[in-house]
Parts: sequence; structure tokens; C-alpha cells
Amino acid sequence: MYSKKLETLFYSKGISIGDKVRLRKKDGVYEGILMPRAGRTDEEMLVLKLASGYNIGINIGKDDTLERAPVQPKRTERKATASFDRSKPQVTLIATGGTIISKVDYRTGGVTALANPEDILDGIPELADFSTLKLTSPFNIMSESMSIKHWQDLAVEAVKELRTSEGVIVTQGTDTLHFTSAALSFMVTNLNKPVVLVGSQRSSDRGSSDAAMNLICSVRVALSDIAAVGVCMHAGSNDDYCIFSRGTKVRKMHTSRRDAFRPINELPMAKVWPDGRIQNMFHVKNRGEGTPKADIEFEDKIALVKTYPGSNPAVLEFYADRGYRGIVLEVTGLGQVPTYGKGSWLDGIKKSTEKGMLVCGAAQAIYGRLNPNVYAEGRLAKAAGLLHLEDMLPETAYVKLGWVLGHTKSVEKAREMMLTNYAGEISARTLPEAYLY
Amino acid sequence: MREKSQPEHSLRHTFTDDMADTRNLELKCGIEIHQQLDTLRKLFCGCAARLSADRYTVATNRRLRPVAGELGATDEAAAFEKTKGMEFQYFSYPLESCLVEADEEPPHTINLEALEVALKAALMLNCEIPDEIHVMRKTVIDGSNTSGFQRTVLVGLNGWLQMASGRVGISNVCLEEDSCQIIRKEAGRSVYGLDRLGIPLIEIGTEPDIHDPNHAMEVAETIGMVLQSTGAAKKGLGTIRQDLNVSVKGGERVEVKGVQRLGMIPKAVELEAMRQKALADRGKPVTSEVRKALPDCRTEFMRPMPGTARLYPETDIPPMRLEKSYLDLLKKNLPELISDKARRLAGTGINDEMVKQLKQSGQLNAFEALSSAFDPKTVAVVLTSLLKQLKGEGVAIEKLTHDRLHEMFSFMKANPLPKEGTIALMRDMAGNPEKPVKDLAAGSGMSETEVRAVVKKVISEKKDLLGKFNAEQMLMGLVMKEVRGRASGAVVMKLLKEETNRQKRPAA
Repeated sequence: MYSKKLETLFYSKGISIGDKVRLRKKDGVYEGILMPRAGRTDEEMLVLKLASGYNIGINIGKDDTLERAPVQPKRTERKATASFDRSKPQVTLIATGGTIISKVDYRTGGVTALANPEDILDGIPELADFSTLKLTSPFNIMSESMSIKHWQDLAVEAVKELRTSEGVIVTQGTDTLHFTSAALSFMVTNLNKPVVLVGSQRSSDRGSSDAAMNLICSVRVALSDIAAVGVCMHAGSNDDYCIFSRGTKVRKMHTSRRDAFRPINELPMAKVWPDGRIQNMFHVKNRGEGTPKADIEFEDKIALVKTYPGSNPAVLEFYADRGYRGIVLEVTGLGQVPTYGKGSWLDGIKKSTEKGMLVCGAAQAIYGRLNPNVYAEGRLAKAAGLLHLEDMLPETAYVKLGWVLGHTKSVEKAREMMLTNYAGEISARTLPEAYLY
Repeated sequence: MREKSQPEHSLRHTFTDDMADTRNLELKCGIEIHQQLDTLRKLFCGCAARLSADRYTVATNRRLRPVAGELGATDEAAAFEKTKGMEFQYFSYPLESCLVEADEEPPHTINLEALEVALKAALMLNCEIPDEIHVMRKTVIDGSNTSGFQRTVLVGLNGWLQMASGRVGISNVCLEEDSCQIIRKEAGRSVYGLDRLGIPLIEIGTEPDIHDPNHAMEVAETIGMVLQSTGAAKKGLGTIRQDLNVSVKGGERVEVKGVQRLGMIPKAVELEAMRQKALADRGKPVTSEVRKALPDCRTEFMRPMPGTARLYPETDIPPMRLEKSYLDLLKKNLPELISDKARRLAGTGINDEMVKQLKQSGQLNAFEALSSAFDPKTVAVVLTSLLKQLKGEGVAIEKLTHDRLHEMFSFMKANPLPKEGTIALMRDMAGNPEKPVKDLAAGSGMSETEVRAVVKKVISEKKDLLGKFNAEQMLMGLVMKEVRGRASGAVVMKLLKEETNRQKRPAA
């Protein structure tokens, strides 16, 4: 964004972003393509792309003159040339945002979402060898701004597409991809086909992007025999294969690495290679008959809170006073909360529970299973009303709590449902090889 | 300007005799110089900016996928096909690479130390400095950058360099990250080291204002001197790379890549000009292409000339405004050019030859600092011939830091040493970097009588050496082997001289 003053100047000179312009200064002339300006608008700085390809910022002073260059560069629109072979099996790609299916305009540096499935073939032509993609986009939003409503819309869209496609792929920014995968795991019931969530950690404008391999492997999974919701992304830092991890057991464990999405407390459901090889490791159900349903009732008065040294239990009152029906506490160790003096959470848990709020505990250690019986503090927390959720991930617990409370008004029933395994969110056994997989 | 004694120029002198006449060719030549900077850290992360001496710790396998529409005027389909099958392996090193080099973490903010050096260089080359600098991504698909692009930022443009024959335009001064070093190439696979990736590099490009092969070398040499004057340019093999752009009447712009040494430039320019002329004379078209410089200054075809490199913004690094007050401060405090400094120091009582040697060995600054407190001639001899001799012996002269030499000169002020004594002392200092100079000079542990006994024993065992070339040094080495750490080299040298003279006397 340029300042209002500069915008007016451009307008009066007939200059648009992307035009070649000349800036005449006392000691010389700068010629270049006027680039869009990100961020600050409080200054009179032009961003020009010079003939050398470099961008520079140049102040426009009151004695300088700006004009549109008489000869403008030719603009060529790139048209997608490849097309899908409609006899190949169809996969629906539901695009909600994220870098994975965006393209960069190398002239301006601007990023836009791809509009046609053929645009995807531009960068990943081999997809046409084994699939036909159908592209839908119910909404477009940054990952961190996703809301419960978006999960619900997505579940409805996925169920609709599962009727006609062999499988569904959902693309999203990666930051909250594991929340979405948990949400779809609970909201799409009676699942008979694969639902694959995928993103990329390196933007697709660069040659090193992980988007292509992630997408190829995701389409492979979407056409596979695995009937499950999961995340399919790089297994390691190498560009060799992906892992497909259960939607309720997967978590973003690194801010930037390609292999950020790890299965927690279990192995990935499968390893997937771009050439189509799939090695099943730990999935439960195969593709079959049946009609998936969107079961999207959801209680949005739920919260996720962490206990820690010095934490203030009054946060429980805050939520209880606002009519919240459930809360997941990320508790320490095997399932303890602070119990000493003014910092004790016991009273707050007890009072909230008495008010009808369901207070659950999930491990802030991320890995491993809670067991309230080992320490007195855990037993006290349990006695106060805290429901320890085995080896369920905190984020998964949060999503499940909303879904469970959306299905029952009874706290007792909800407590029972929270400990019932609906989508692989609780493992019966903790496998040694699953730690730091 | 030219230094006849500089070894790297020896090639030129063998060539100048048979240089062809390029005066009627309408020769146009531009130079591009890449110089590694000697900063502590890399350009966009906290890793050490140096090649690693360690074994690699992690190997990562990657592929690159040029994005359609990204490659400008090159044949996109062909480039895509070519890269698609290639596998790249990258070696990580414990101190010299991190997730940034592995393309697993966004770049950190730009290294301000490197940026300042680049800005100084741009100012010394009379460039205009943008009000705001923008880091760009330059597409690279040969795997030498893990990201698929090189980060580069234009810090100066429209400058000039004053040469005796007139001005040569400086079109750009850029600060960029060096690429990975190739370790080996196999069929369908290249292996790279991540240690070099991200070392700050200054790229300087001239306008095609050069019309004479020898002039091309002088320009390259002068730019190199300007960069060394910043005090932050790396020295040694592989730290500077020169590319040439050459065209003649009836020819085309041809880029000659990787001219290894300054002395090769005139011949490389001349041979390329003559090659183009020969083609044109026979009515054959000259194609604009990239050619690789061979060790004998001829060139061989490398690849077609790429279209304008595709540059697009590095969105992970915000544009950076350069405040006028900061640039004014830099302008006021620009480093003195080495050529000016040499001229100035020539008036301090040392001869021209010594100035030249100090300049060539990069010791001008050290000389300037030490000669203000100590005898300039002694300092100059130590910094040139003595260090050179020790280096030739394989002594770890990097242990002879500025502070250590200062300590030595302080000692010598009160206790003057002969040249042999000084060099022996320096040898001991390099071997015992933590021992005070005065202790080393006095010797420690052995009395003079004890040392003399060892000297006598060695001389009697190696009588055959006496009178031979280098006898003194060989005997010195043998004695030091027995007394190292217990007696000073200075004492040993003194006794050795006394004893060998005594041995010689009866014979004479």
C-alpha cells in the first residue's frame, strides 16, 4: 500500500502498479517497473524493479518528477497447457488457503490462489498420470484465523465430495492443520474413503518447495485403500517419502521444518512414496461401502488452558462466569495441577465442576499417557473433578470436547463420551517406537 | 599499479610477448567480481562464515522443481526436465551450517557487519545508494542453493572507478549469499557442502567500458584492492572469482566464467576477442553464450546465455531503510585505500620494496600499528621476510597474533636480538602460544651448559652436515627436537653458532 498522497500522484499521471515509470531527480533518472508496496505507508518511497531485476526503494522528493514511461513492457499471461485425463480416478481438492496451492506473480511478487485444477498441473504435471483433480474452494482463510464454523463447513463439503470422488484432499495453511484434522475426524462419521489434509512448509514459488511431493503423495493416499482422516506431509527433511498420520494423533511439532507434522503416541498410518508405493503401518479401517455423514453439532463455549508455575486458577472462574461448558487443562507430568496455597487449582476445578463445567486434563508433555493415581496431587485433582484424558493430545481434546458437548446436555454422558474412542484419539497401548517418531 | 613480483602475474608476462593486437576489434569488456567477506557470521544466520574442517554430521537428499514461468527466457521445458530427475545431497557441518542453510528455517535478519562492508565498498566506488534496500531471490536450479534461489541485495548503482585512462562505470554493487560448494558429481546426483552457502559475498559489476585486455586486468586488480581496503575481504584461494563479459565488432556478448587468477585476465579477454573475430571473419555467427575459462586461458562452451535472471522479492526479509545520517557517517569514515596507505607509509623510513611486500602480504595495517611504537625497519622485516620464511617451514604463523608480536617487539626493545635469534624466538612463540616471550627468550628449565652439551653432541653426530647448504638450520632442527620447551630457540641458535664456529676454526 502506498500513501494516499502517492496514490493520488499515480492517478493523476495515469500510472498503475506494474507500469514502467521514470523518476527524475536532480542528479539522475531512475527507470523501472512500479512495484506494490507492503507494510509502511507513512513515507514517500517508491519501490522500483530496475532493468537488472533488482528492487530498490527510492524517496520521491518535492522537486522530483514521476512519469509513466512512453514504452511499456509487454505483459504475457501464462496459460496452463496441461490437462487432466478424465478417465483417471477423481480426487476432490478442497482448497481453503495456504501456500500449497498458491502461485507467485514473479513480476510483482504478489501471491494468488490457483483458480483451476489445470494450474496445479503447471507445476506438478505428473498428477495427470494417475488422477483427475476436481477443485473446490468453500472459503479462503489464513490457518490461524480458522474458526469452528470453518470446520463445520469443511466437514459438509468433504462429505458432499466423498459421494462422487474416490477421496478428498483438504489444503490449508499448516499452523492449525492438526486442529482441522481432529475436527474432521470427529465430524465426518461412517467414513469409507480417505480424507487427506495437506499443507506445505516452503512456499511453492521456490524450486525447493515441499508442496509438490506432499500433494503427489496426498493424491496417492486419496486413491488408496485407507479409510481415515489424516495429515500427509514429509516424513523427514529428505524429499523421498511422506507419512500419513491419523487426524486425531498428529501435531505440528516444528515451526518451519518440512517434517513438522509428527504422529504422537502412535506410528503413522502409512508411509507413502510419490511413485505410488504405500506401506501400511498402523491404520484401522479399509475403504469400503457406506455413506459418510457430516455430524457437525458443536459446542463453542469451550477453552484450552495451560497450568504452569505461577498460573492463576481464577481463569476457571472467568470461563465459568461466561457460561463455558467445558475446558481442557494442559496439566503437568502424569496429570497434576498446582495444589499449594493461593496458587492451588483444586478449589477452582471443584467449583467449576459443581457449576456444571466439564474440566478435562491433557498432557502438556505432549508425549505419553496421563495417570492421576501416581501422585497425591493427581489424585486430588481427580477427586476435585478433573477428567484425565489418557494419551489424547491437548488440541484433539479441545476439539473433541466441543463435539461431545454439542451432542449431549448431560455432563455425565459427556464424561463417558470423552473417554470413548471415536476416531483413534485414545490408544490402548503406548508403543515404545512411537516416541519422537 | 601492476606488481611484477606478484606470483599470480607470472602468467601474464609469459603472454604479453605474444599478445595479439586487439585495437581494431572494437573490443568491449565488462568485469564481474565476486569477493567473499571475512565476517564472523553468515549473511542470514548465526553460523560461522568459513569452510568447515569437520566431518559432516547430517546428509539431506533433496530435489528441485523449477516452477513453470519462473525461468525467464531460458527453455523452461528443457530446464524442468533436466532438473526433475536430479537428486541433490547436502552435507551439514556442526558449526558452519544450520536449518537456514538446510532450507528448513527462514533467513534471520541481514548481517549488519556484512551490509556495512558492502555499503562502504559501494561508497568507495562512487555509487548511488538506494534509500531502501530490498533482498531479492535469484532463481538458481543447479542445486547449489538449497532453496532454489540465491538471496541478493543491490546496495549500490551508477558508480565509477577512476583509472589512469579514464572512468570505468560500476553498474552494480550487490551483497549476496555464496552458494554451496560442490563435493562431487555423479550420474543424476550432485553432492554439495552447506558450509560455503550463506557466506557473505560482494558482487561488483562494471559497465562494458574496458577496451583493452591489459586494462581489464588493471580494473579487476583495482576493484580487488578497493575491497581489500575495507579490511573485511577474505584472502586466499577461492575467496575471489572473476567473470568477464567480452564482445567485439560483429560478435556477441559472451560471458567467460571462473577466471581463476588476475594474471589470466588479459590473455582470456584477448583469446575470446580473437575467437569471436575468427568466427565473424569466416561469416559464422557468434552466439551469446557462457563459456568456462580453462587453465590455459582458452575457454570452452558451458551453457547458452540465460535470459535475464528471474528476481523476485525475498518476502521473509522486510525491506530496510538506510537513513541518510548513517550513510553520511559511513562516508565520513571510509577506510583509506591500500594504494594511498602504501604511498603514505613509503615516507616512514622503509624502502619501496618493503612497502610493496607489506602491501602484497596484507600486512600494511599491522605495520602501521606496530611501527608507531617500534623501529619501522625491524617491524617490516618481521612482518615480511621472517613470517614468510616461517610459513615456508610449516610453522603455525597464525599463532603469532598482533598482540604476541607486540609483546615480542616490546621485549626486543630492551633486548635486541639478531635476525637468527628473532626467527628462533618466533618459532618458539608459535609452538608455545601461552608462554610469555621473555621466558621463551631466556629459555626455561635447562642451563646454558646443558644446552651446549646437547649442541655439541648433535654436531659431533652430524659432522658430515657441516659446511653444507642449510647446515645451520638442519642442526638447529635436530637440537630443538631434544630441547624443545626447555630451552629457547634464541639460546640454541647462539650456542650453535659458537659451536659450529669452534668446529670450523681448526679446519681453517
